[in-house]
Amino acid sequence: MAFKKIGLAITFSPNSQALLFEAKRFRELFKAELVLIHIGDYSEVLNAELTKMIDETGIANGTYKLLWQEGDVEDSILELCTTEKIDLLIAGALIKENFLKYYIGSVARTLMREAPCSVLLLTQPSVVRAPFKKICVSVDFSSLSEPSARKAYEVSSLLNCKELFFIREFQLPALATTVYDSGSKEEAQQMRRIWQDEEKNKMELFVRELNITDADVKTVCLYGKQGWEASNWVSENKGDLFVIPSPARKPKLLDRIFQHDWEFVFKQLPCSLLIVKPENAD
Amino acid sequence: MSLSEHDIVIFLSSVAVMLFFSRVIGEFLKKFKQPIVLGEILAGIILGPTIIGALFPEVMQVFLTNNSAVNIAFQGITLLAVVMLLLVSGLEVDLSLVARQGKAASLISFMGFVFPFGVGFGAAWFFPDELGISANQNNLIFALFVGTALSITALPVVARTLMDLNIFKTEIGFVIIASAMLNDLVGWIIFSLILAMINGGTNGLEFSSSIFMLSAFIVFILFIGRKIFNYILPKFERVTTYPGGILNLILVLGFAGAAFSEWLGVHAIFGAFIVGIAIGDSVHLKEETREIIQQFVTNIFAPLFFVSIGLRVNFIQHFDLGIVLLFLILAFVGKVIGCGLGAYWGGMSKEDSLTVGFGMNSRGAMEIVLGTLAFQAGLIQEKVFVALVIMALVTSLTSAPAMAYFLKRSKKKMNFKDLLRNDLIIFSDAQNKQQLITELSGLIDVKHKINKEKIEQAVWKREQQLSTGLANGLAIPHARLKIQAPLVAVGICKNEIDFNSLDGSPAKVVVMLLTPETEHELQLKLLADISKCFQTKSFLQELSLLSSPNDVISKINLLS
Repeated sequence: MAFKKIGLAITFSPNSQALLFEAKRFRELFKAELVLIHIGDYSEVLNAELTKMIDETGIANGTYKLLWQEGDVEDSILELCTTEKIDLLIAGALIKENFLKYYIGSVARTLMREAPCSVLLLTQPSVVRAPFKKICVSVDFSSLSEPSARKAYEVSSLLNCKELFFIREFQLPALATTVYDSGSKEEAQQMRRIWQDEEKNKMELFVRELNITDADVKTVCLYGKQGWEASNWVSENKGDLFVIPSPARKPKLLDRIFQHDWEFVFKQLPCSLLIVKPENAD
Repeated sequence: MSLSEHDIVIFLSSVAVMLFFSRVIGEFLKKFKQPIVLGEILAGIILGPTIIGALFPEVMQVFLTNNSAVNIAFQGITLLAVVMLLLVSGLEVDLSLVARQGKAASLISFMGFVFPFGVGFGAAWFFPDELGISANQNNLIFALFVGTALSITALPVVARTLMDLNIFKTEIGFVIIASAMLNDLVGWIIFSLILAMINGGTNGLEFSSSIFMLSAFIVFILFIGRKIFNYILPKFERVTTYPGGILNLILVLGFAGAAFSEWLGVHAIFGAFIVGIAIGDSVHLKEETREIIQQFVTNIFAPLFFVSIGLRVNFIQHFDLGIVLLFLILAFVGKVIGCGLGAYWGGMSKEDSLTVGFGMNSRGAMEIVLGTLAFQAGLIQEKVFVALVIMALVTSLTSAPAMAYFLKRSKKKMNFKDLLRNDLIIFSDAQNKQQLITELSGLIDVKHKINKEKIEQAVWKREQQLSTGLANGLAIPHARLKIQAPLVAVGICKNEIDFNSLDGSPAKVVVMLLTPETEHELQLKLLADISKCFQTKSFLQELSLLSSPNDVISKINLLS
């Protein structure tokens, strides 16, 4: 089972209905429990309105848990993810936040950066979902990479996704300076090609180590800034879902100012995003 | 004042001679794997007062003419050269790399600056005369300069050395590059402050105003300017011809930044360096553009600057052995111990820490630029300048051999060939893969005191998931264990062992690979390395015919 307990933060926004339909579909697909979270003051009227909205999606009463909590939206959702042992949080997200919100952090961006569980961010939640045709997975060979690649494979199998791409990006900072001090442009380019081949070999071995036999995994090796290159590739190649491992440490404001790795992705989502937190992670 | 026809002839011929000699000597030294910059400096020393000036003073007059118009033209061209040199250096400083560096790199950067700075500052403060302070020189400014001069690391030399040693793409290489970038950034900021202290009051600006405006300039360019450059770069590239348009933009912005910092009373190079960092950080700046601008600057303008260094000073007359030795000792002590301690405290082994220390000890061209500017600003006298140039060259030349020495002793072997040991190679009679795995596990247990059952269990668990038999008779059973460093044991099989290989052929050569639990990438790297080594069937057959472990190692080492 890819995920056992799905959480969905619901509001009364225009997207809520579509997100409920999405949560319902993923719950059925993963055969998971569903926890619906609303952050705000409880009232009988609002509760009735919320229940009506849920009923309209066909989520049968008694097959989900509805939690009301007061307080700061981000903190409350993050806290409930931990206490409820949610392993996949679904939320809607804008492709790009405005300048200030990106730096200060919107709800969706905070969840991307800080969620204690895996997060699925849907850029265009819909009542009737078009199937994911192309799932792209970022692979950095870290300890977090393997679980995220496995999870992506599991999800792609369940979704009957036709194309699964494993993307590796790497860059050697200051390589161009080797042109200086008796180097040549050709030599630097040749070294880059050799290293790119080496990365391709490692990718093939990585896929082999995962023991993926029943899917045609395609590997892509890109040279450039990590996070940006892959995100750009996914966007250009019209990926439907981009899977990345969760950040190794909690990103700080400095990481947003001097963007690197996933901050490039968080700044402008190339498509829907699945951030995988390994099951045994903190 | 304008250049006469005669002046133009002298100027252009001198430029031609400088470029010609620097290239000839540089290319000659390149054959001996020496940096080209050494050839450029030697060309200057030969053409300048040290050799030709001493032997044929009348010929020397052609270059160091008393004609002020020609001299101004020379000053202009060397200024352009050094500004461009710092602009391209800035292009390679990756701020995001600095921001995300781990514990080891942060400690190395910190110690690699603070420790040599402290050593240099302390030595110059307490023993200014021994270090060659000029008469009437402010002791504080001199001590600050010596501290900064000892803290500089030359990123291009470091990158080149890492490439030559084939460790560019390793953890050590990454850590050294990240640390060198931060060192460069902090070093140039401190040096610009020193220049502001000296030039305070010029251009109608007080020292405090200079510092305020300099800080505002750095903050604006690195935080806001960087975003603006990133935004306009792709748009500019779309509407202009590549690469001309983009090169033009980089130079326009670089020169504008240089002019502004010069106006602040800080040398023009600083503005170019900061603007270079901001442009270089853009995700839209192509690698090819970086290489083109590097080539353009370092093959045409940089030689003129480095040759001009030799033209300024008589290296024999101003050679002071005491000062040279003192600078060398301080340079080695400061960087090797400082960075070494940073690396050690960051969790690296003693050998790896020393590799980092010597790697960061390269001063190269950046030190020479710093020394030249200090000399021009009257901060140091000829003797100190000569000592700095020699120190820059010696630290750069010794860096690669010293690193190679400690890399050989490093426990963290990154290549399959480095992991081979003759006591971990057996000629096995095993009948099946289980027997062979048991045999190789036992061998590792005996030699490395790693529990045989644990090895067997881990390797066997992995083997059951998917067979590790590859094509051509090779198998690489492997596992990740709680060990400090990777290990390999090789079994040359007398019998054919069924490993459910990809091509159905039985295994004749079996390489058991154990890697540390946390190092996922290292396992893949070594697996790729091993499979590449044994990719031909004939090589595997030749190996299976050998009879001693030493022969096996020699045969594998012969592979390119």
